[in-house]
Amino acid sequence: MKFPAKGKLVYAAAGAALLAFAALVVAGGSGYAERIFIGLAISIVLAEALNLFNGFTGLFSLGHVGFMAIGAYASAILTLPLQAKASNLPDLPAWLAQVQLPFLPAALVGALVATLVAALVGVPLMRLTGPYVSVATMGFLVITQVVLANWDSMTRGARTFAGVQSLTTPVNAWIWAAVAVYLVLRIKNSSFGRSMRASRDNEIAAESIGTNVVGQRLIAFCMSAFLTAIGGALWAHFICAFSPKSFYFSQTFSVITMVVVGGLGSILGSVVGVLFVTVLSEILRYLEGGFSLGPLAVPPVYGASQVIMAIVLVLVIVYRPTGIMGESDSGLASLGKALGRRMGAGGANK
Amino acid sequence: MRKIMIPLIALAVAAVLSSCGKGGGSTIKIGVLYNLTGAQASLDGPSANGAKLAAKEINAAGGVLGKKIQLVSYDGKSDAETIGKAAAKLVDSDKVVAMLGFSDTDMVMAAAPIAAKAGIMFVTSGATSPKLPGQVPDYLFLACFGDNVQAAAAAEYAYGELKGKTAYILIDKGMEYTMLLGKYFKERYTELGGKVVLEDFYQTGDKDYSAQITKLKAQKKAPDLLFISSGPDDVGTIVKQFRDGGVKQPIFGGDGYDTPLLVQVAGAGANDIYFTTHSLMDAAAGSDAAKKFIAAYQAEYKAAPENAFAGLGYDTVKLIVDSIARAKSTDPKAIREALQTTSALPGVTGSITFQPGNPIPQKGVALIKVEDGKLSLASEKAPEKVPAP
Repeated sequence: MKFPAKGKLVYAAAGAALLAFAALVVAGGSGYAERIFIGLAISIVLAEALNLFNGFTGLFSLGHVGFMAIGAYASAILTLPLQAKASNLPDLPAWLAQVQLPFLPAALVGALVATLVAALVGVPLMRLTGPYVSVATMGFLVITQVVLANWDSMTRGARTFAGVQSLTTPVNAWIWAAVAVYLVLRIKNSSFGRSMRASRDNEIAAESIGTNVVGQRLIAFCMSAFLTAIGGALWAHFICAFSPKSFYFSQTFSVITMVVVGGLGSILGSVVGVLFVTVLSEILRYLEGGFSLGPLAVPPVYGASQVIMAIVLVLVIVYRPTGIMGESDSGLASLGKALGRRMGAGGANK
Repeated sequence: MRKIMIPLIALAVAAVLSSCGKGGGSTIKIGVLYNLTGAQASLDGPSANGAKLAAKEINAAGGVLGKKIQLVSYDGKSDAETIGKAAAKLVDSDKVVAMLGFSDTDMVMAAAPIAAKAGIMFVTSGATSPKLPGQVPDYLFLACFGDNVQAAAAAEYAYGELKGKTAYILIDKGMEYTMLLGKYFKERYTELGGKVVLEDFYQTGDKDYSAQITKLKAQKKAPDLLFISSGPDDVGTIVKQFRDGGVKQPIFGGDGYDTPLLVQVAGAGANDIYFTTHSLMDAAAGSDAAKKFIAAYQAEYKAAPENAFAGLGYDTVKLIVDSIARAKSTDPKAIREALQTTSALPGVTGSITFQPGNPIPQKGVALIKVEDGKLSLASEKAPEKVPAP
C-alpha cells in the first residue's frame, strides 16, 4: 500500500497524538466525547463541500461560510418553536411566524435557499479566474455578514440567536457526513468531475474541446453551496446559540485549514484534514489551560492554542504544500485494491 | 524540523496523559467559565481573579463540609462554540456541582442551557438581563441586579438630581444587554417626565461615530444629557469621540462602563460621566467589605481590583459555597433549594437576598461619577420604581 509520507517517525508522532486525543476524549466524559464526535461529522460535511468547489474547479472560494450562515439561520428560524419565535423574533413576517418545521425539512429548505443564492451570485462570479474569484467570494461573505447583522426582524441582528433546539444527533450528523463523502466521491469519478478537473488543469484546452467551463463551475458552486448549507444547519442545531460573527473569517479559516492541510482535491484528504485540525486543537485547548509534567508546572497561557495552530498550518504548507494526502485518492484506491485482493480472486480491478 | 516536531508532540502527549488521571474525590468541584480573551476580557478577567481569591480564602478557612473546593476554570474566548464545549466538559468530565461565570447575557446563553439540561445550577456573576431566568427556567440565577434596576436608578438620578429634562439615547444594537438597558432607561425616564430628543444606534465594534455625533449636533435643541448604552470595549472610543466632537453634556451609562478602558481610552474626555455599577472599588471611599476585598486583592495580585466585576466574581463563589454549606450536601438539587432561600448574605457588591420564586437578587445600585479620570460615588440606593422585564 502506498503511504503518503515516508519515515516511521512521522507515523509514531501521529499515533502518539491520536493516543493523547483518545485519552482526552475518554477522560472528557460521554457528553464531551459526543460533542467531539458530532463536531467531526459536521466538519467533514463542510470540508467535503468546500473541497468539491475549491479542489475540483481550481477556483479558491473564500466565501462558502456565507452559505453555511444562510443554511444555519434559515433552518434555525424554521425549527424555532412558535412561542420562542414570538419572544425572540417578534417582528417576523406573519407567514413565517406561524411555521415550525422538523429538522430535516428545515435543513433542506435552508440548503435550497443557499443554492438559489449561489446560483444568483455564481452567474457573474464563475466567469472570473484566479485571485479575482477569491476576492469576489470574500466580498460575498462580507455582504452576507452585513445583511445578517442588520436584518433585525429575521435574525435578531448582531445579537445572539439563542434557544435553537438541539436537533443534531450523532446519527443524523454522521449520515450527512457519509452522504457528503459519497456525493463528492461519485462526482469526482464521474465524467462531469473529470471534465471539471480537466478545465482546472488546462482551461483553454478544455474549452477547445467544447467543455462549458463556466456552466460546470456554476453547477459545482451550487452543489457545494447546498452541502455547505446543510453543514450550517447541522452546526446551528448543535451549538444552539450563535450570531453572525460565528460565520465570518474565523470559521472560514478553520474550514479552509482542514481542506488545505488534508489535501485539496482529495476526498480522503478532507477527512484526514478534519481529524488533524480537530485533534490538534483539542490537545492545544487542553494544554493552554496550564499543565504539570512531573515537577515542571506550566502556567496557563490563554490564546496560545490559536497561535500554535497557525504556526502548525504554516509548517504543513511549507513542508507539504499539497496537503497530507496530496491531490490523489491513491490511498483510497490502493486500500480498495488491497481489500479486493484479500477477498479473493473476485477482487475488483481498479 | 522533523527532529524538533517529534519530541514536541511526545512532550504534549506525556503532559496530557499525566494530567488526565487527576482529580480525587476529596474536593468539591465548581465550574468557572469566563472569557479571559476576546471582547469581554476586561470584565471577565477581574471576575475570574475575584473568584480565585474567594476560593483561596475559603480553603484557607477549612473549605466547606470538611472538603476543600476546587475551581475548574476554562477560557470561553468570547466565542459561543468554545463556551459550549467547555460547559459540556465541565458537566460530563469534571463533574462539577455548580457553575458560575460570565458578565454578558449572550455568553451566558451559550453555556447555561447545557448546565440546565444536566440539572446543574448556573449562577452568573455579571450578566444583568432580567430576561435570563425566563430563558433558562429554574437553573439560572443572577448574583447581580437586573438591567431594569440599574437603568431605573440612572434615569431617576438623571431626571431627579441632575435635573436633566431632555436626553439623547445611543444604543449598541449588537448586544442584548445594551438593547435592554437602553429600553429600560427610556421607559423609566419618560415615565418620570423626561423627553427623549433623539434615539440613535451603532454596531458593536464600530470605530467611527462621526455620523451619530453629526446627527446629534444637528438637533435644534441640544439635550441636557446623553445616555449611551455601550459594552466595555467600545465605551472609551465613543466617549473620546463625542467629547472631541464638542459634546459637553453629562454622559450616562450602565455597568458596561465599569472598566479601566474607559479612562485609559477616553483620556481627557473621561469627564462628567456617570454610570451605574455594582459597587465602587475605592480603598478610601468604598464600603468596609469593599475595603477588605481591595486589600486582599492587592496582596494577591499586586494590583487594585480593576472594577466591580472583580467583586462580583468573589461574591458569586461565596454565594455558591454558602448554599452548599446550608444545603449540607453537594447534590445539585439541594444546592438549588438552598440558593433560592439565600437571605441577607453580605458581599463586597452588596448584600444578596433572593425573594421566593425570583432568581434575581434585590441589590442596591452604586452610581459612580467620573471627573477628570477620577471615580467617586455619586449616589448609592435602590430605584423607587423598576420597569417590568
